[in-house]
Amino acid sequence: MNPAVHMDGITKRFPGVVANDDVDLAVERGSVHALLGENGAGKTTLMNVLYGLYEPTEGTVFLDGEPQSFDSPRDAIDAGVGMIHQHFMLVDPMTVWENVVLGNEPRTWGGLRVDEAAAREAVVDLSERYGFDVDPDARIEDVSVGVQQRVEILKALYRGADVLIMDEPTAVLTPQEVEDLYDVFEELTDQGKTIIFISHKLGEALSAADDITVLRDGVNVGTVASTDVTREDLAEMMVGREVLMEPATTPQEPGDKVLEVTDVHADDDRGVEAVSGISFELRAGEVFGIAGVDGNGQSQLVEAITGMREPTDGEITYLGEAMAGESRREHIDRGMAFIPEDRQERGLVMSYDLTENGILGSQHDPPFAEDGRLDWRASRDHAESVIEQYDVRPPDADAEAESLSGGNQQKFIVGREFERDPDLVVAMHPTRGVDIGSTEFLHDRLLELRAEGKAVLLVSSKLDEVQGLSDRLAVIHEGEFSGVVDPATVTEEEIGLLMAGETLADDSVEGAAVHDAGTDLGEAGDEEVDA
Amino acid sequence: MRNPLADVSIPVLDDLIKSDYVRSLVVGTVGVLGALLVLGTLFPESVAGDLSGIVFSTSTAASTARLAAPIVLAGLGGIFAEKSGVINIGLEGLLIISAFVSVYVSSVVGIGNAVLGVPAIWVGFLGGIAASTALSLVFGIVCIEFQADQIIAGLAVWLIALGLAPFMSTVFFGGVNTPNLGASVGWKYSAVMVVVATLASWWALNRTAFGKHLRAAGENPKALDTVGVSVSKVRHAGVLLSGVLSGVGGSALALSIGQFIGSGETMVQGKGFIAIVAYLFGNYNPIGTLGAGVLFAGLDAVQIRLQQLGYAIPDTLVQTIPYVVVILVLALVGRTRLPEAAGEHYETED
Repeated sequence: MNPAVHMDGITKRFPGVVANDDVDLAVERGSVHALLGENGAGKTTLMNVLYGLYEPTEGTVFLDGEPQSFDSPRDAIDAGVGMIHQHFMLVDPMTVWENVVLGNEPRTWGGLRVDEAAAREAVVDLSERYGFDVDPDARIEDVSVGVQQRVEILKALYRGADVLIMDEPTAVLTPQEVEDLYDVFEELTDQGKTIIFISHKLGEALSAADDITVLRDGVNVGTVASTDVTREDLAEMMVGREVLMEPATTPQEPGDKVLEVTDVHADDDRGVEAVSGISFELRAGEVFGIAGVDGNGQSQLVEAITGMREPTDGEITYLGEAMAGESRREHIDRGMAFIPEDRQERGLVMSYDLTENGILGSQHDPPFAEDGRLDWRASRDHAESVIEQYDVRPPDADAEAESLSGGNQQKFIVGREFERDPDLVVAMHPTRGVDIGSTEFLHDRLLELRAEGKAVLLVSSKLDEVQGLSDRLAVIHEGEFSGVVDPATVTEEEIGLLMAGETLADDSVEGAAVHDAGTDLGEAGDEEVDA
Repeated sequence: MRNPLADVSIPVLDDLIKSDYVRSLVVGTVGVLGALLVLGTLFPESVAGDLSGIVFSTSTAASTARLAAPIVLAGLGGIFAEKSGVINIGLEGLLIISAFVSVYVSSVVGIGNAVLGVPAIWVGFLGGIAASTALSLVFGIVCIEFQADQIIAGLAVWLIALGLAPFMSTVFFGGVNTPNLGASVGWKYSAVMVVVATLASWWALNRTAFGKHLRAAGENPKALDTVGVSVSKVRHAGVLLSGVLSGVGGSALALSIGQFIGSGETMVQGKGFIAIVAYLFGNYNPIGTLGAGVLFAGLDAVQIRLQQLGYAIPDTLVQTIPYVVVILVLALVGRTRLPEAAGEHYETED
């Protein structure tokens, strides 16, 4: 029998770049196939070829043994290939059923009316057939991200998709929602659908996929059955060398109190309370991690701490001085480094080159500023040293920030902030969009800072990251800490429960960590954590 | 604070108007009018008596319909454009050009003549619509294909029409004001066109596939693009509809008196801008836009009469009444939500 999808010798060249180089990919009907690789490995390009956005320079796509030639995504949809983008393509104020049928509305009255009854029925039928629990009349803006993802899947199924391509499907989900998604995969494949998903997470490829294809630098490194490989094998295939999977933390006695946050409340931009009474303290030589699903108040908390948002209540004390209400400049001058979550909005000026970006935040200080003038020579040297130390590519201080890939932009920001010689580093998603090799390097740098006696506040939605690096780990849910746990002993399931707002039955873990903050870290730090 | 007016339930309206905001506007207006009628009937000698005498007269109804037509129709057009993601602030210009061309074409055909059995004045009416549609096509191409700034392009449409219409009038008729045609389109036609256009727009926006596509194009164009519907086609359709509807409004305005007045701000006198206020006021709901447009035109008609009554209030102050009311209502009733992608250009990836 022919495979459901067979991509034969696909080469895709862009001016100056070979994104895919003679890639073969065969996916059996009714299986889940993971396409694994680092950023820039060519995964997305390959899938764009499959669903008709790009035409391959060389090679052919076969569906069920039939050669295909797609001019547009429309052709791919007609041939039964559905794409579910990482950023959902949904219209927020419209209902679930309106979104599902958008562009293919059933019509009555000679086309003058959308047949709402038929549309709703089709959506309910599909939803029931695949065991989705979706209310067809709910508005997209009112439902959870997990449900939105199902609406995207329903959209593809409604258009008759047999092959579903999903781009980083778990990036925005809670651990529980991820489990539900795996159930959905099973339901779909049981009914003969084929799923290909793009990922750079090893764990998810291993647990969800039947087969895994690894791409590196646009080349297919190999296709393996998920039962035959380990995480280490996959990491090596992806990076091309052996990778140390767990950051090696060493026990360390925390020093003086650097940051103390007491019962802080803060509103979001709409004036709705986003942070509802958070307290913690952070000592020198300590990493305090905050885990949680995005949008639970972490942004507002971090903004309050870094001086970008005035808290509505509570106190923030940094190096013994009250900081609430102080300007952002004051925060920077007192040695608080900040890696923002949105690197393009807040981390860099996209139209500046790296020399200019490199002095952002230090533009008033020597050696960059002298007598009201900027010293471009010193600025350039600084940018070049960051580029070299943090392996930013291309290594060109004159390159504009927007010409860099997301991962390299991130490395440059992290480098700039770490080189400030801060007392406190506030890092939000420091490795988001960064490939495994660079992630490993950034983690090592973070731990070096800790060893040098700096305090680190680490906010991340990557569980293994916060769990592996933190000395103490808080889980945030709807603006409050649902628990502060010892990352060495807590399980992923427990963190998942806390992220969903549940409390842990064993309150001794929580209680000890909250009240005894920072004292029993000797043991916490030395465990090798398996995430 | 929740607006108490929003809780009033009206059987038919409830189905048509889901927005609390628009509903409270409708309920409030009807309530004020009702109170005025009751007070005026009870105390015919009082100010309320004078007012209700003005408000509930046929001549006020006629001038309300005449003044409301361009506001409501251009407002409906504005909804189609803006819902699709193109903010059309050139409605004023579309009204001006159609007002002039409708009179010009009528006079070229000659009152008393007919083309294919259509009387001259209605040929002129269609000519006005065609002119406005053509100008909106240019606006659409500039904004959608060449990605010009929508606000600047919209201002250009207004300024071009503002200059062109009186100029053409001078060229063809020897003055910025055209001579009177000696024939007109009755106010009842305007009223019927306004009501029909409102209901048809409501249906198109809420019940047809095109309405859904329009909304998607303005909220998340990428979502529409990825399901294979051309965003630029939908946006062009939205802009062209704004041209057609404004054309009806401009033609109705000029032909209701049978003359184009081109002095100063022309006879359109900012009605295109008030139309924008009307549809924002109505929160992009055609019914709400109708209500807002009629309210506005009604206040305008009433203030003209009020000036004739001889109260010791300066006329200039009376003239501001409609504007003051708009600001008051906007401040009290709440605010509208713009489509997410309104004003943003969209380019397909491939």
